[in-house]
Amino acid sequence: MTQEVEMKEAQALSNTVSSASVPSTLQHLKEIASLIETGAYAKEVRRIVRAVRLTIMLRRKLKAATLSAFLNFALAPGSEAHSKLSSYLPKEDDRDMDVDTASSAAQGPKHSLPDIEIYCYLLVLIFLIDQKRYDEAKACSSASIARLKNINRRTVDILASRLYFYYSYSHELTNSLAEIRGNLLALHRMATLRHDELGQETLLNLLLRNYLHYNLYDQAEKLRSKAPRFEAHSNQQFCRYLFYLGKIRTIQLEYTDAKESLLQAARKAPVAARGFRIQCNKWAIIVRLLLGEIPERTVFMQKGMKKALTPYFELTNAVRIGDLELFRTVAEKFSSTFSSDRTNNLIVRLRHNVIRTGLRNISISYSRISLSDVAKKLRLDSDNPIADAESIVAKAIRDGAIDATIDHANGWMISKETGDIYSTNEPQIAFHSRIAFCLNMHNEAIKALRFPPNSHKEKESAEKRRERQQQEQELAKHIAEEEDDDDF
Amino acid sequence: MDPQLVEVTQIFARLKAALLRNDFGTCNNLLSQLKVLLTKYPSLPPTFQQTPTAVEELQIARDIYEHAVLLSVKTEDQDAFERDFFQLKPFYTDTCGLIPPSPQECPILGLNLLRLLVQNRIAEFHTELELLPPNALENPCIKHAVELEQSFMEGAYNRVLSARKTVPHDTYVHFMDLLAKTVRDEIAGCSEKAYDSLSVADAKKILMFSSDQELSTYIEEDHPEWEIKNGFVFFQKAKESQPCKEIPSLQLINQTLSYARELERIV
Repeated sequence: MTQEVEMKEAQALSNTVSSASVPSTLQHLKEIASLIETGAYAKEVRRIVRAVRLTIMLRRKLKAATLSAFLNFALAPGSEAHSKLSSYLPKEDDRDMDVDTASSAAQGPKHSLPDIEIYCYLLVLIFLIDQKRYDEAKACSSASIARLKNINRRTVDILASRLYFYYSYSHELTNSLAEIRGNLLALHRMATLRHDELGQETLLNLLLRNYLHYNLYDQAEKLRSKAPRFEAHSNQQFCRYLFYLGKIRTIQLEYTDAKESLLQAARKAPVAARGFRIQCNKWAIIVRLLLGEIPERTVFMQKGMKKALTPYFELTNAVRIGDLELFRTVAEKFSSTFSSDRTNNLIVRLRHNVIRTGLRNISISYSRISLSDVAKKLRLDSDNPIADAESIVAKAIRDGAIDATIDHANGWMISKETGDIYSTNEPQIAFHSRIAFCLNMHNEAIKALRFPPNSHKEKESAEKRRERQQQEQELAKHIAEEEDDDDF
Repeated sequence: MDPQLVEVTQIFARLKAALLRNDFGTCNNLLSQLKVLLTKYPSLPPTFQQTPTAVEELQIARDIYEHAVLLSVKTEDQDAFERDFFQLKPFYTDTCGLIPPSPQECPILGLNLLRLLVQNRIAEFHTELELLPPNALENPCIKHAVELEQSFMEGAYNRVLSARKTVPHDTYVHFMDLLAKTVRDEIAGCSEKAYDSLSVADAKKILMFSSDQELSTYIEEDHPEWEIKNGFVFFQKAKESQPCKEIPSLQLINQTLSYARELERIV
């Protein structure tokens, strides 16, 4: 489904890396390693986040030779981790590599930090996945998870959460997600016990993804509703969570909530995550149709999504017109798309919305119409179309889709005059909810503002402070003098 | 063969015979004996230990639970149905590689869908539906339930009722009877909103009663707010949103004050 969607926040950082005079990838990796090192010693999680981002930037440039050179640099040769990780890399008798290893082995400091070791695992794993060597990736990820279980350090958490992701991803690529479910649950419990909130977030999403992969909506919902929730740490994870939540709610017919989550997920997702946003939009379109809304045309015309959303556009069109025949042809025409999106069952549910829309159109156009005409217009083909039409109309009235009454004796449907909505409290309530939404948005935005810690203090050294105070004093004296002058 | 397994097989044979005779008391006794015996096998869910006799044990256990489900349908015990079905479900979902699929699988899954429909648990109905592979949807038993749900959601209640004649499996008849009751309640709810009044004869037809007596007892029990006068049934309409005469001042003051407070924070 959304494998292709690895939401990368990297874009913004591209200039920070490539601006320098293009040093080698190995050089970059070494810089990142030292970044992690300082981050780990100073316990500054921020630096490690940065390291992960920089790594994603380098992703395309990773080569076996560079990697093994980096491993030699970062890990003591002959150590367990070193030999294990090296075994995953292909042996290449590259002269370049020999030089690198020789030099780095001679001068490179040997780290024993677990952070660096985990980082090496992450690098190798990303490399293996990019090289499409999934079975080795699987083995490597499992080894890394086993190692992670023995490390309890807060600075590792961020690297760990990335590892969890690739662990699940490599299993998804080899279609063996069911195997790791127990492991993921154990990891989630571990993360909860260690108050590793980022890890919990990531693992909860992976578990939900795991369940939804097998359509186990029931289990997914049970887990979701019982797992601890807290303020989101990572926007990406929050987007994913909202998407899964939206899917679960759609299946369980809570369309209003589902729509909210799906639209929020689509809006919060970074622009680069096109595949993810397409998925969100597809589901959101169907949910809105199920709610009886017709999505605007602009939804389908979004940049880069037009082609992917075409089937859903035609479907919307059929629902909008309320034509059962057209709806059936569209559903058949794109059935392969819908079944690969796994939205087929939802499309089947849409049928009664098509009827509803048709009925609403009729109810708006006619103040009184016979039930047999309704049956004809809706193209109900059954043995007893009038009785069918009558009960369908009755249900639509009860569900509030149309405002009408039925005259059974004459076989008519009589539409009621629409009342003046402005004579009720309705507009005021709507206005209030909008104001509340805007105010809430403002508050959330303020809460989300971030400042680097202690930045305002650092700027002002002791010397500067003295200078500033002196200036202030002078100014005050000046003003006082002026006042004195004025007195005369 | 393991002597315990022999015992299980023997009791199971007696259960099958009793089920054919419709001797439900004996069935229930034998079934509870069997269920106790089944707890002794480590090869069954949830442990799924690979014992040498695992395949036979799994197969016989699945067979037993399938019969338990059918028995609960016959005794019209919906709670027992739910319990037995949940015990059976792991056999269908988690033993794919171990034992060949059961011929009873689709009818029983269809029955479960029907049960959810009868109990008006539509959300769970769809959750279960998502679990089925696409080719299972083609199976007549499951298709039947899916089509019923569609007609039910549309409001084409006639189609729901006429589906009783086309049941794919004889155990389905029982649920179809229960479904008729659910449908009647739905129709009553719809009529209440859709009609101002109905003649007693029409009401009787729409609500599927054969005599006036049944109709009036139904109204008394389920809808005491309806009125029968001069051969007509009058429905009491729920009050519609009336034009607002009074200004909800207290609420407005509260809202305005909260806006002021928020604005203060912004400026």
